Parts: sequence; C-alpha cells; structure tokens
Amino acid sequence: MGPAQPPPEHSRVLGPIPAQAGIGLRFAHHRTVIDTQPAVAWFEVHTENYFGGGTSLDCLEQIRSHYPISLHGVGLSLGSAGALDPRHLARIRALARRIEPALISEHLSFSAIEGIVLPDLLPLPMTEEALVIVSEHVLQVQEILGRQILVENPSSYLRYTHSVIPEWEFLASLVERTGCALLCDVNNIYVSARNHGWDADTYLAALPVSAVREIHIAGHSERVLSAGRRILIDDHGSEVCEAVWALYRTAIARFGLVPTLIEWDNNIPAFEVLEAQAARAGGYLAELSLHAAA
Amino acid sequence: MQLPELQRALRSALLGTPEAQLLSCIEADAISAEERLCIYRNTIGATLAKALQLNFPAIEKLVGADFFAECAAAYVQLEPPRSAYLNDFGAGFPAFLAAEARTARLPYLADVARLEWAVSRALVAERPPAPDLTALARVGAEQLPQLCFTADPSVSLLALETPADAIWQAVLASDQATLAALDPLSPCVHLLIERLGAGLSVRRLAPAAWSFAQALCAGNPLGAALAKHAELDVQGQLALHLSEGRLCAWRLGTDAAAAGAR
Repeated sequence: MGPAQPPPEHSRVLGPIPAQAGIGLRFAHHRTVIDTQPAVAWFEVHTENYFGGGTSLDCLEQIRSHYPISLHGVGLSLGSAGALDPRHLARIRALARRIEPALISEHLSFSAIEGIVLPDLLPLPMTEEALVIVSEHVLQVQEILGRQILVENPSSYLRYTHSVIPEWEFLASLVERTGCALLCDVNNIYVSARNHGWDADTYLAALPVSAVREIHIAGHSERVLSAGRRILIDDHGSEVCEAVWALYRTAIARFGLVPTLIEWDNNIPAFEVLEAQAARAGGYLAELSLHAAA
Repeated sequence: MQLPELQRALRSALLGTPEAQLLSCIEADAISAEERLCIYRNTIGATLAKALQLNFPAIEKLVGADFFAECAAAYVQLEPPRSAYLNDFGAGFPAFLAAEARTARLPYLADVARLEWAVSRALVAERPPAPDLTALARVGAEQLPQLCFTADPSVSLLALETPADAIWQAVLASDQATLAALDPLSPCVHLLIERLGAGLSVRRLAPAAWSFAQALCAGNPLGAALAKHAELDVQGQLALHLSEGRLCAWRLGTDAAAAGAR
C-alpha cells in the first residue's frame, strides 16, 4: 500500500476547532452548557452516546449551534481482523451529517471480534499484519465519511511477545499510508510509558508534527497489586497530574498550538472543575503563542 | 499468532478463561499475563453491567446491586453484545430473568424488565418525520381497508400478566407503601409505552383499544384491524393515534398483503 493523499476536507464543516482548550462533554453537564453557555472554546463528545434519537441528541444539536464539536468514537474497532461493522459506520456517517463536527476521531485498538463486542480499547500486536489491517480500515472510514479522521494512541496494560514495531512508529506509518491525522493523548503516552518502561519523550519525538491535530489530557490512577507491584490505569477519573502537565508542555513545544481536550469520564466533577483544568491547558497554549510571537 | 486467531483467543480469555497459547503471547514481568488480562476483563464486565443497569434501573433496585451484578455477569456470558452501541444491549435480559432459576419464581421481575426495555427503546428512538396527513385524507373510501401504518419507533405495546407498570413506578419512586399494597397476581395489564415530547408516557389501555393499536402498529391493513374490533369507535381511535403522533407513515398495502395479514 503506497502513501495516500489526505482526503479533501468536508465542505460543510462549520466552526473549526480552535487551537484552544476544550472539554469532553458528558450527559451530566448538558443542562449547564445549554443554560449558561460557558466560555469554553469547543466540546468533544463520544460518538456512540448520540446514535439514538433521544433527548441527548436534541441537547447536542442545541450545543452545536453555539460551539464547535468534535466526535470521538470508542466503538468502531479499527483494529478488528474482520470487517468493520457497516451499521456502526453508517450511524457515524448519519451523526456526522447531522452534527457537522469539525473533527472525527477513533482509537488504535479493537473491540469487535467476529460479531461480538467487548467494550474496551483492546491493544493490537504491533506487527505489519496489524498495520495493513488498520490502514485498510482507516482508508475505508475516510472514504465513507468523505474526510480525514484522527487516530488516537491508546493506553495499554499488556504487550504481545510478537510485536516488532514500536507503537510510535506504527502510528507514523499509519499516517503515511492513509493520510489520517493523529490525536495525541499525552496521558495515554504517560500511562503506557510507565506501564511498559517506554520513554515518553521518545514517543512524542517520533510522531509526525504536521499530523497531530488534537491533544487529549486526562487523569489516571495507580492500582496497587499484591506485593506492592503497581500499574497505572487510564480511568479519566481525576485531575491531570503534574507529570502529565509537564509532558503536555513538552508535547505542545513540539507540535505547536494544537486544540487540547480535557477528558473526564468517571466520578465526573462539577463543571467548574473541568473549566479550571481547561483554563490551565489554555494558559500553556497562550504562553506558547506569546513565546512564538516574541 | 496471526491477528484473527489472537483476537479470538483474547475474546475467549476476556469472557472466560485464557488458554496457555494466548498467555505465552503476552509479555509478563512482575505482573503476570493473567493479571494484565484481568484489568481488561474487569473494565469490560463493569461497562456491560453499567449498560444493563442504565437500561434496567428498577430491576437493580428490586433484586439489589449484588444480585444484579451476578445476573449481569451471567447474562454477558450467554449473550455478549453484538453492537458497540450499548444502549442496544440487553434485549434478551427480560427472557434471561424469566428463565433464570432464582428469578423465574418472581414472574413480575421479567415483566418489569420487559417494560424497562420498552422504556429504554422509547427514550433512544429516532424521531421520524410527521406523516403526510393531507395525502392520507385523499385516500378513497374503497381503499381504506388496505391502508397500512408504520408506528413511531418509540412505541411499544405490551400485554403483561403482572401489574409491572405499578411495580416499576413504585420501585423507582421508592414508594414502599404502594409496593406493599400491590397484588402481583392482579389481572393482566395492557400497556402503551411511547415518547411524549421530551419525556415518556407509560399508560394502560382497555384490552380492545390495545389490541386495535397493536394491529395497526404492527403494520396490519386497516381492514383486518377493523374486522376484529367491530365494537370500537375505530374512526375515533384511528384519528387519536394519528393526532398523537403514534403513526409516522402510511402506505396502501396490496390485496395480497391485506389478505395475508388477515
């Protein structure tokens, strides 16, 4: 498979995502956002949460009229050895036509196995076989949606003995083969680096700068196993830790002014807490912008 | 191990017990391959239990969180999801409760679950465009028996042997007094569940009105539905269903379809 040109941008996209801090929007805060219209630069939602036709979709349409939106999928299973679920893909396309998101993203992982779905972001072996399959699926999705998608690096708790390509090189090759963009999840890099003994700076340095269109940051937790052994869990249930903030600053120093999202999915706090996290990320982006201007 | 084989092995391991061949493919250090798999197994189990809990909140309150978690785990083994859209997960949970030895002796449990499934369908149903009533008014009298309707996707019609609607309401409202006064063996209830504006409506219909609504919503020709309900003010019933937005489309069925429906 040779290098591919990025597909043309969707012609009807309204409101591009600004290079500022946004917030991952969950149901708990729909009302707050609709009623108070907070000064947040943009929102991202989980695509699958809006597949139905209920009140949550009505809320998203209202919010869409005031803010740029990014659709972030968790269930397409780009890494499935078998075919992508055509119903799932059709639902993403229908939602994208309705919401006209500025960005659409998915994960480098799999969850569907021969028709059965295990709802988690399961890690792929880093092999040429997997790279070919993921590339074919990304090209198929971009063809069906008529636009470029972003692929996010996963956090992981296991690796396979037959993996031969470093994850960061796998992502760079995926960009080269499909013309996709990257969603660089800095917290995921931190979690995986700690769990697998990788060097997070090496990971960041290997990602193609021009392909990184969005950054995620989030909280994680440490699970203590027996005999004091520890593993980091990407649970999105707390504030971004200082080490991830530091890695985030390294990331934007390399990738430049990139839209940055605060993700928080468990123990969801008051909206003001998310705004404060977004303000801190926004502050670092503003600093970088001033530095660049100077 | 090639990717299809690896993914099949991982599916078996995450829904049950890992095979040695898979374990040998996973890097292990101080943390074993099984412990690493366990992190994913726990997340998947918790996510699916949560999805069931969101679709069946009254069942969870009725049986308690611990037993609900046991039921959820057993159900996942029997019918793991086939779609990543988890609002659609749990269609078989009412039948599972009806068949499960420890819940089958409480028949109202499966009925409450059937009602909760209908409620969750109504809450996430697509909103179709309104039917073309002007064109409908032009249908000639001789063609009326062949009219077939499509129900709004939010509509469910359930005939349940227990007063599941009253149990469901009382459980969600934590209304112990009403629950204590309910007779779980009272006569069958005929329910209409549907979206109403931004909310939801669950109400009882008289058996004949329910049966007519069910025939219409199932797409049977009007002639066939009429034939079985001579005692009803059918015109009034039809007008009501249309005005309340319960029927979202119509077509003229063929005679064959009409005969088949009879």
